[in-house]
Amino acid sequence: MKTVKILGPGCANCRKLEAVVREAAGAAGIEADFVKITDMKAIMAYDLLSTPGLVIDDKLVSSGRIPTQAEVRQWLGA
Amino acid sequence: MESILRLANGGAGNLAAYLAAHVLLCLLPAFFIAGAMAALIPKTSITRWLGRSAPGQVSYPAAAAAGSLLAVCSCTIVPLFAGIYRKGAGLGPAITFLFFAPAGNVLALAYTGSILGAEFAFARLALCLLFGIGIGLLMAVIFWRDDASHEAEADTAFAERASVGAAATGVLLSLLAVLVAGTLKLWPLTATLGSVTLPLPWAEGWQAALTQWVPFDAAKGEEGVSVQGALLIGLLALIGVAAWKGLEDIVEGANRWTWAALALAAATLIVAALRLTAGPAGLEITLTGRALAVALAMAAVWHFARRLDAEAWQGWLWEAWRFVKQIFPLLVAGVFVVGLVRQLIQPEWIRALAGANDLQGNAVAVGFGVFMYFPTLVEVPVARMFLDLGMHPGPLLAYLMADPELSLQSMLMVAAVIGRTKTFTYVGLVALFSIVAGFTYGAWVDGSSRLAIVAGLALFLGALALPLLALRRWLVHRTEAAPLEHA
Repeated sequence: MKTVKILGPGCANCRKLEAVVREAAGAAGIEADFVKITDMKAIMAYDLLSTPGLVIDDKLVSSGRIPTQAEVRQWLGA
Repeated sequence: MESILRLANGGAGNLAAYLAAHVLLCLLPAFFIAGAMAALIPKTSITRWLGRSAPGQVSYPAAAAAGSLLAVCSCTIVPLFAGIYRKGAGLGPAITFLFFAPAGNVLALAYTGSILGAEFAFARLALCLLFGIGIGLLMAVIFWRDDASHEAEADTAFAERASVGAAATGVLLSLLAVLVAGTLKLWPLTATLGSVTLPLPWAEGWQAALTQWVPFDAAKGEEGVSVQGALLIGLLALIGVAAWKGLEDIVEGANRWTWAALALAAATLIVAALRLTAGPAGLEITLTGRALAVALAMAAVWHFARRLDAEAWQGWLWEAWRFVKQIFPLLVAGVFVVGLVRQLIQPEWIRALAGANDLQGNAVAVGFGVFMYFPTLVEVPVARMFLDLGMHPGPLLAYLMADPELSLQSMLMVAAVIGRTKTFTYVGLVALFSIVAGFTYGAWVDGSSRLAIVAGLALFLGALALPLLALRRWLVHRTEAAPLEHA
C-alpha cells in the first residue's frame, strides 16, 4: 500500500496531477491511498518552490510540473 | 425591464467589441508566451539567485525577474513567495517578488499595452519595478530581525541549477516577435502592401447589421464590431472547441484536434493582422505589413518548436491551455460586467472624484483599488472604463498599482505566510507608494519637466530612506549590546 500526497491549493494542475497518478496506479494495479494537502504551511514543509507537488511514501518526487504516466509508474515501483 | 435589456446589451456589446478588437493579436500570443515561460524556463534557472547567500544586488533583481518570468499564476506565486521568505533570500526579495508579479508578467503587460496604450504599460512596468524593489528594501530594514531568525533553516531548495535550452529560447523570442508584430502601431507594420476585393455583396449589409446591434460613439472611446471582428469571434469559438478536445490530454500526446487548434490559432492571428473592409463592391481584403510580419514570426516559432522534445512542447501547450481555462472565462465575465456597469456611472462623478492629478484623486483611486477585488487582468478593462469616463491618467496608474497588489485575497495569503504586523506594514507601504506613483505619472502626463519629476521622486525616497537607515543603525546597535533573545 502506497501513500500518495498531492500538494497544491487546488489549481488546475493539481487536479490534473491527481488524475494522472490515479490512472497510472490503476493501470499498474497498485493500491494507493490518496491524500490532498491544500494548506500552504503543510505544503511548505516539503522542499518545493512551486505546486503541484507529488509525494510518494513521504518522499517528494516531483514539483512544479505534471509528470507522465510512465514516470509515475516508475516512482510507484511498478 | 427595458432598462435591464439595455444594460445587458451594453455588456454584450462591450464584450464583442473587446473580443474583436483587442484580445486576439495581444492575448492569443500572450497566452502562448505565458505557457512557454511556465513550461520551458526551468524555475531553478532563476531561483538559484534567490538563495540565502545571494547578496542584495543579485537577489532583488532576481526576485523581480522571477516575478515577471515565473509567476503568471497563483500556483507559483504563493509557494515561491513563502520559499524565498523562509528558506531563501529573505523578506525583502520575497516582497519585491510579490509586488512585481501581478504587474510585470507578460499577460498583464501585453494586455495593459493593447488596451490602455504602450505608455501606460511602460509606466506600470517601470514604476512597479522601482517601487517593488523599494518596498522590499524597506520591509527588509524594518523587519531585519525576522530574517536573522531564519538563518538556521536549510536552503537546499535554492541550490539546484539549470539553464534555458537553445530551442526554448528560440521559441520564447519568436513568440515575443509575434506579440510585438501583432500589437505595435508603427510604420512598416501598418503599411499597405496590396489589396483584393472579394465580390461578396452581403458584406455591407452585415456591417450595417453589426453596427446596429452594437451602436458605438467613437467620441466616447467606444468601439463597434466590424465584419472582420465578427469573423474573429467565430474563429475564437472554433479554437475553443478544438482546444478542448485537443489540449485537455496533451501531456499524453497530441491528436488531430491538437493540430486543428494550432492551425486555427495561426489562421486567427493572420486574419486579425489583415484589414477587412466591407464596401458596396464587396469585402476588401488588404494585405498589411503586420500580416506579413506575424506570418514570418509564426514560421520562426514553428521552426524552433520542432526542435523541442515531446515533453517540452506538450508541457508548453498544456500550460498555455491551462492559463486560457483559468483566466479567459473570468476575463470575459469581467468585461461583460464592466460594459454593464459603465452605463450606470455618470462621467461627472469620476471627474469630480479623480479628474485631476491631486492628493484626493490619487487617494480615492488607491482606496478603490484596495477595497475592490477583480480577478487577474480584469483590472485593465476596469481601468479603461475609468479612463473613458474622464479619470486622470495619474490616479488611474495609482489604481493600477494598488488593485492587483492589494486584493483581500492576496492580503490573507500574505498574512498566512508572514503574519499580520508585516502584512499591515506592507499594505500601508503599497498604498503610499501607489499614491506617489500616480502623482509621478500624472505629473509627467501633465507635462512637468523631467528634472522636477526625478527631483521629486528622489526627495520622496530620500525622506523615507534616511530615517529608516538611522532606525536600522540604532536597532543593530541596540541588539549588539543585548543579543537577540527569541532568535
